[in-house]
Amino acid sequence: MPPLLATAARQLPLALVWAAALWPVLLWLVHAQDPVAAVRLAQGAAAAWSATWPWGLGSALALAVVYPPAPAFVRRALHRWRQGLLLDQQALLVKLGDLREFETSARHLEIGRMLRQARKHEQAIPHLGRAVELDESLTGGWHQLGLALFALHQWPAAARCFERAEALEAGHAFGDALLCFGRCLYMVKDGRALATLEEHAHRHGGGPRSGLWLAEARARAGDRAGAVAALRQAAQKPAHRLSPEDGWCRALARVRLWGKGGAA
Amino acid sequence: MSRAPSAADAFPVTIVVAIACGTLAVLTRMFGPPEEFEALLLEHGMLTPRLVADGDWWRLLAAAFLHGGAVHLVFNLLMLWNLGPAIEQSLGSLRFAALYVASALFGNVAVCLLYDPRQPVIGASGAIFGLMGAAVALNMRSGRHAFAFLDFEGPRRLFGTIAVNLVIGFLLPFVSNTAHIGGLLAGFAVTWLWLAPARRASPGLRRWRLAVSALGLALLAWSLCPVTRADWLQKAYNRELDPAREAQLREALRAADEPAALRRRRR
Repeated sequence: MPPLLATAARQLPLALVWAAALWPVLLWLVHAQDPVAAVRLAQGAAAAWSATWPWGLGSALALAVVYPPAPAFVRRALHRWRQGLLLDQQALLVKLGDLREFETSARHLEIGRMLRQARKHEQAIPHLGRAVELDESLTGGWHQLGLALFALHQWPAAARCFERAEALEAGHAFGDALLCFGRCLYMVKDGRALATLEEHAHRHGGGPRSGLWLAEARARAGDRAGAVAALRQAAQKPAHRLSPEDGWCRALARVRLWGKGGAA
Repeated sequence: MSRAPSAADAFPVTIVVAIACGTLAVLTRMFGPPEEFEALLLEHGMLTPRLVADGDWWRLLAAAFLHGGAVHLVFNLLMLWNLGPAIEQSLGSLRFAALYVASALFGNVAVCLLYDPRQPVIGASGAIFGLMGAAVALNMRSGRHAFAFLDFEGPRRLFGTIAVNLVIGFLLPFVSNTAHIGGLLAGFAVTWLWLAPARRASPGLRRWRLAVSALGLALLAWSLCPVTRADWLQKAYNRELDPAREAQLREALRAADEPAALRRRRR
């Protein structure tokens, strides 16, 4: 989400409370000038409010029917929102206090990981950067730093971090570093993207996220049949409950597969 | 000579509220003839939005100590006895009293804002739902993060209790769930923002306090002066001496009555 939009979303609840507080004031002011206008305004707002609920519910249902990834999108959004709330402030403060006593790469990594999990990517980057500066062989540090940069759409920098993590430990984090490296290359239109994603699929097996990104890379390379095969793999019914991120990728793969004439 | 601490020392406000409810049940002759009971309820503070708008602001609080029958009274006192002592011991008696008053007040403000002006409402349940909201806020403040308490079975059941009570409120036609929800939100907000603030001051806390205070004051003032409601316009029209203003108010009154007139025509 762009920073401006994220700030607006954070301020929205407070703005709604102020709007609700100012509504009676507005009606009193209008009433002082023209009582009829105040009544009409209140009635119009009440009618709009009454109509909002059925329309809102109807629109949500229609969206879910017309666009099946909607539930997956909502699940992913709720998961992200919950992650943002679940930062263990106390543990973070303890770690930051420890850091003042004695600075180690592991402590920076732990703080950076906690901040990243709470989706505070900008705050996580300095700690993760310091962690890999103190210990250049810290594979987890490079991976976490790559993920933070990835979330901020800083593709070239993220690609360098994932590449480093993969070079230090092939198949790090069950292949996640390699997969994200391939995705970053795809985003910067690097020619190695397809080969990297193919390698990930070959070495670590598929999954909705891997399949979807591989399909996009194959489609860009002009391999339509390969893209459909990858989408089909991504859209497969899972044997277990997918993570919200994978669920979203599977939903997207299913929709794209319909667009390409294949069955999900 | 020291004496053993009694329940009244530990949670006096809970006991005072219970005694007040019981006393008012006697004063309003709960077990007497229905007509007399109704008249005494009205005299002692039964709330209707119209009476509040007419200047009887004290009904916003008084109605929270009146009950419509023995079952109503016993059920509310049981809930008060279940929740009150624990919360009063957590918050202290003074803050508990503030919580009770705020929950009762805003439960009834919600009734004034959303109900028909002639609808009578009584009962302590808005305030008791406020105690439930406070219990949620206290649980959220007690853990390492706001939702840490959901890891424990006991606090999780609190949501079940709230949900069951709200469902009962929706199913029974004579129960005012508006007051319940108003009290619940008020109890939660007051406890979260003022009575049990976080150990570390949050930069947003002051902004939220200001916004919620403004909202509370605006809603309270709106329940006292609902300038777009027909009953308030009628009152203003009746006391107005300026002919030009009277004409304006007559027009507004006609406009405010229009929906009702339309409904009557449709029937």
